[in-house]
Amino acid sequence: MSVETASPPAAAAAERLPHYVSPQPFDPYSAEEMTPQQERYYMASQWRMMWWKLKRHRIAVASGVILLAMYLSITVSEFLAPYDYQSRHSDFIYAPPQGIHLFHDGRLIGPYVAGFDYHLDMRDLRRVYTPNLRKIEKLRFLCHGDHYSFWGLVPGDLHLVCPAEGGTLFLLGTDRLGRDLLSRILYGARISLTIGLVGVAVSFTLGIVIGGIAGYYGGWVDILIQRLIEIIQSFPHLPLWMALSAILPVTWSPLLVYFGITIILGLIEWTHLGRAVRSKLLALREEDFCTAALLMGAKPARIIGRHLLPSFMSHLIATATLTIPSMILGETALSFLGLGLRPPITSWGVLLNEAQNINVVALYPWLMLPVVPVIVMVLAFNFLGDGLRDAADPYR
Amino acid sequence: MTRVAAALLLFLAGAAGAFGAPALIETPSLASAVANGTLPPIAARVPAEPLIVDSAPGTPGGDLHMLMAGSKDTRMMVVYGYARLVGYTPALTLAPDLVKSYEDEDGDRVFTFHLRPGHKWSDGAPFTAEDFRFWFEDVAQNKMISPSGLPPELLVEGEKPRVEFPDPLTVRYSWSRPNPMFLPALAGPDPLFIYVPAHYLKQFHERYAEKDKLKALVKAAKQRNWAALFNKLSNGYRNDNPDLPTLEPWMLRTRPPADRFIFERNPYFHRIDAAGRQLPYIDRVLMVIADSKIIPAKTGAGESDLQARYLRFDNYTFLKEAEERNDFTVRLWRTAPGSQLALYPNLCYNDPVWRKLLRDVRFRRALSLAIDRHEINQAIYYGLAKEGQNTVLPQSPLYKPEFREAWAKFDLPEANRLLDALGLDKRDSEGIRLLPDGQPLQIIVESAGQSTEEADVLELIRDTWREAGIKLFSKPSQLTVFRNRVFSGEAMMAIANGIDNGLVTADMPPVEFAPVSQQQLQWPKWGQYYEDKGHAGEPPDTPMGRELMRLFNAWFDAGTKDQRRAIWENILTIYAEDVPTIGIAAGVPQPVVVNNHLRNVPEEGIWNWDPGAHFGIYHPDHFWFAKDERVALPAAPAAPR
Amino acid sequence: MLGYIVQRLLIMVPTLIVISIVVFTIIKLPPGDYFSTYVAELQSEGEAVDLQKIEFLKKEYGFDKPVWEQYLYWAGGLLRGDLGYSFEYNLPVRDIVGDKLFLTFIVSFATVLFTYVVAFPIGIYSATHQYSWSDHALTLLGFIGLATPNFLLALVLLYLANIYLGVSIGGLMDPRYLDAPWSLAKAQSVFAHLWIPVIVIGLSGTAGMIRRLRANLLDELQKQYVTTARAKGLPPFRALVKYPLRMALNPFISDIGSLLPHIISGAAVVSVVMNLPTTGPMLLEALRSQDMYLAGSFLMFLAFLTVIGMLISDLALAALDPRIRLSGGVSR
Repeated sequence: MSVETASPPAAAAAERLPHYVSPQPFDPYSAEEMTPQQERYYMASQWRMMWWKLKRHRIAVASGVILLAMYLSITVSEFLAPYDYQSRHSDFIYAPPQGIHLFHDGRLIGPYVAGFDYHLDMRDLRRVYTPNLRKIEKLRFLCHGDHYSFWGLVPGDLHLVCPAEGGTLFLLGTDRLGRDLLSRILYGARISLTIGLVGVAVSFTLGIVIGGIAGYYGGWVDILIQRLIEIIQSFPHLPLWMALSAILPVTWSPLLVYFGITIILGLIEWTHLGRAVRSKLLALREEDFCTAALLMGAKPARIIGRHLLPSFMSHLIATATLTIPSMILGETALSFLGLGLRPPITSWGVLLNEAQNINVVALYPWLMLPVVPVIVMVLAFNFLGDGLRDAADPYR
Repeated sequence: MTRVAAALLLFLAGAAGAFGAPALIETPSLASAVANGTLPPIAARVPAEPLIVDSAPGTPGGDLHMLMAGSKDTRMMVVYGYARLVGYTPALTLAPDLVKSYEDEDGDRVFTFHLRPGHKWSDGAPFTAEDFRFWFEDVAQNKMISPSGLPPELLVEGEKPRVEFPDPLTVRYSWSRPNPMFLPALAGPDPLFIYVPAHYLKQFHERYAEKDKLKALVKAAKQRNWAALFNKLSNGYRNDNPDLPTLEPWMLRTRPPADRFIFERNPYFHRIDAAGRQLPYIDRVLMVIADSKIIPAKTGAGESDLQARYLRFDNYTFLKEAEERNDFTVRLWRTAPGSQLALYPNLCYNDPVWRKLLRDVRFRRALSLAIDRHEINQAIYYGLAKEGQNTVLPQSPLYKPEFREAWAKFDLPEANRLLDALGLDKRDSEGIRLLPDGQPLQIIVESAGQSTEEADVLELIRDTWREAGIKLFSKPSQLTVFRNRVFSGEAMMAIANGIDNGLVTADMPPVEFAPVSQQQLQWPKWGQYYEDKGHAGEPPDTPMGRELMRLFNAWFDAGTKDQRRAIWENILTIYAEDVPTIGIAAGVPQPVVVNNHLRNVPEEGIWNWDPGAHFGIYHPDHFWFAKDERVALPAAPAAPR
Repeated sequence: MLGYIVQRLLIMVPTLIVISIVVFTIIKLPPGDYFSTYVAELQSEGEAVDLQKIEFLKKEYGFDKPVWEQYLYWAGGLLRGDLGYSFEYNLPVRDIVGDKLFLTFIVSFATVLFTYVVAFPIGIYSATHQYSWSDHALTLLGFIGLATPNFLLALVLLYLANIYLGVSIGGLMDPRYLDAPWSLAKAQSVFAHLWIPVIVIGLSGTAGMIRRLRANLLDELQKQYVTTARAKGLPPFRALVKYPLRMALNPFISDIGSLLPHIISGAAVVSVVMNLPTTGPMLLEALRSQDMYLAGSFLMFLAFLTVIGMLISDLALAALDPRIRLSGGVSR
């Protein structure tokens, strides 16, 4: 055998495919590459996903918008209200609502109200107001009206809409001292809407702290706190309210009384939050991340606050949103019992309490209109809260 | 009874009346009980010398529906029934009622009462002097039943009366000094009871009852001792024991607690009408218990035949409108308070700077001048009230126009001038006057927070006081807290009802015009000093206070009517000049709802507690229904609106 | 199981003791006492009051003793079954409460029934047709009851019912039946009056129930077994009712315990407005006038009922749901 016979393997090797290395840059994750939409979806944070899910719930979104509008209106109540909340008109006591007209004799002359013809029926002792379409009182906009003190600090008198000079603008009628109801509702919103927030802040804190301790430690601490929650929940609220309101000293200024009442309401409502926190914590504290943090030497407070809570903050917010309406209703109920805010403070509860008698129901039903914003607010909070809660677990 | 027979009988009775007591006519609803022997005939039930009421006679029968707010209101039947030893007439003079006659001798020192022969309690037992003796010796002076001793109206500077019973139908009370409060106390709405049904109560008294029996009764009623049981069962005013015999026209038949109380006619009632019928005309009074806030609504739905309690002036329009749907009319009666609402500057306020200011008469006058009473009247009372100070009303014989008009005009320039003269002429940026130490002139007016009327009036006052440079804060609170704050001097000023009785006569003691009660919110500590006989409170230490006390004591020593009148005038003049309370408007009408078929209810009357007993002086026992029967409430409304 | 019951019963004892202390504190908290309120009221109306007699009564009933002694006296009485004495009515507490309990039960029972009847269909519909407009409309209806302050609604309904239907205002029956024995006419009158309080009180409870049912049902409907059942051809109604609904019923049972106090205290405000002869207004008035024994004993009675109610509902839940039984405790 000669050496030349070894050449066919070399020749075969010379005909094999060359080793190809693509000069293109290589992306190991290209197989897993996502479309931009997919990327948005998978990379989105928890909050963003919550928002997307919330948007599907149309009523919740509408409610959110309404609530935002109402809360914004509080900041400029003085500007929005046609009158000051205490300004009274002795000549227009128990006046019915005035409608806004646009046309007169077929011509468009701008928004105006028909002035009242007043007549006191001495047989019935009834004040009779007849709208007189000849008395045209044109509305003025961005005008100077009643003086006010903006947020108690800055004096001013610019209003969004005012009555005509020497005229009246009682869109929702007046009460027994001739005070415009619409203005009082707008001012009352300040107290009623913020009572809910402050009260919820109190419940929130209490609920998280107490529920957190119960859920985290478990054992007899948990049993004790559960019994406590049971006691508070099973106790009829009425006596608790009455007793707690009776403690508020009479010498306190109205503002302090207001805060006292929010705290009272908060003290009674925290149990729902506490329960929710506790049950979630009980489930979550077995998770690995919690064990890891524990092993790394974190204190319980840090574990609860930094690791556990954020995982279900969305649920908490949803529950908190659902507690606000019961605060608002609690305030109206307290006013009804004579325990809450009293005149001259104006809140929706105070206004409703003043409407709570047969004279109003039979003769002056427009004074019951403050019930409408209460209903709207409570409904809005409820729907928003529902939407938030549905959205809180976006992976479903 | 047919109409012809009734008319004939009336004619006969009228003829007979000319010769003495009319012939008695049996009460139709009791006729069956008389027939089967459970009740004696009318001649045996009515006293031999009954009280003949000479108003237009009516027809017996019917049920009167009323609304009240709690089971404690059964006492209202004692108030409305108004059967008293001595009672007020509609003209507010005293007249014998349960007693046949009485003598008041020796300048109010000796009182002799003559009872009616044959007068019986509601269970048929005789009403005699024994009932008075039992009360005086065994009840009022028994240490266990009455630990605080005799009622204050029976004590003249601590002296007990000498009580004599010359015969079974005569009782005599005598003191060594005059006791002008005795008769008014007997005629009051919540009267001084100096008699009790002895025959019924003796079984609960340890001196007369068998020991074991009494013990068993006490145990069964779960009371602590026999005295507690006695007190529980014997309270004629509280009227919660159906077994307790009474002299009132209607007796309680329902045992509390209940939602509806039934009162039936007293078959032994002592009054008859001119035709010989025994009063009351109405067979039964049905008292339905409802929450006080809902009573105006229920009245407007036609559920009450005679209603004024728990109705306020601001319900008038609603009730008037409800007239069309129902079978009643709303009348307006006059009220007697000196002012519907009044401001009470606390002359015993703790803060020394403010106390000095409040005690300065010029300050009070300025406050009074800075109130626009006309606006308040128009806005809240439809112009129907009478503006003026918190003092006697024009219907009182002691009235003088200057009393009500003193410092009651709306005069801002004068008010400002007075305040400037006091040294309060510096003002801050808002126009509020400053005290010498730089504090703003802020007055905190406290109220019991029970009515919106107070809040409304304060709103109106706030605006006018502001123009005088005074800032008003209103602080509604709770009844007990409010009173305690005023009594202890922590409240600067209070707003409450004015003088209860603006219809005083010279013969009534000036209790509301002198510092003799802690309830007087303008000088609670002086009043407490008098009430507690010096053990608590402070003695009056201003000339006005001392002078009023002197005049008050002088009234009791005054012997003749002229002397008393002169003292009253003195008191009222001081009151007008010194303005210890600031009145606003009086004479706010009281709506009275009367069923259209109910007769003999005055069109216009006075709605007052003492004197007046609300409906009492108008004698509801002679109200009657013009139809034969009215037992059912309307099942359906007349027509929907 | 038995151990669980015994454990709960044992825990009830300290719970009730704590509640009794809380109740007593609550009643004693406002300044003053029954007699000072009583005196103040009478005097402010111009009626004369014998102050010394009041002092005497105060001593009789031990008001001058220290607070803890009064508490022990009352608590001791409760253990003996002696509910105390009411100053307002001048009668033992037991006599007063007894009458009203029956009517309270009628009202509460009718209200609970109404709540369940309304909440059930709305909740189910809402869960199965999530986010549709009819879902929103129905939930709105269910929630309106929650949102309206019920005291105002009660007054308006009372007035309208009187004007248009001739129903007498307030109360549970026409006044002429108040002391009459039970008859068809009386029962009819009760029904005619009953629907207003039932609607007013019941509506506020429906919202919560709807929400819970909806949430639970939604949870269940997401689960695998439901998809499997549908995929395998089970008719949709059966797939809904036979399995997921049963799971979603848990809160209804567990809610019975907490529904009772809500109804009784929510009902108190409405009952006052509507003048119902139930225990609500009685409690409110007793608290206002500080009628110590009536308020305290009745509150204890309520609390006792509630605690027992919770125990029963927990037991019912355990009986109903084998998971709870087997895992040895209620996990919420």
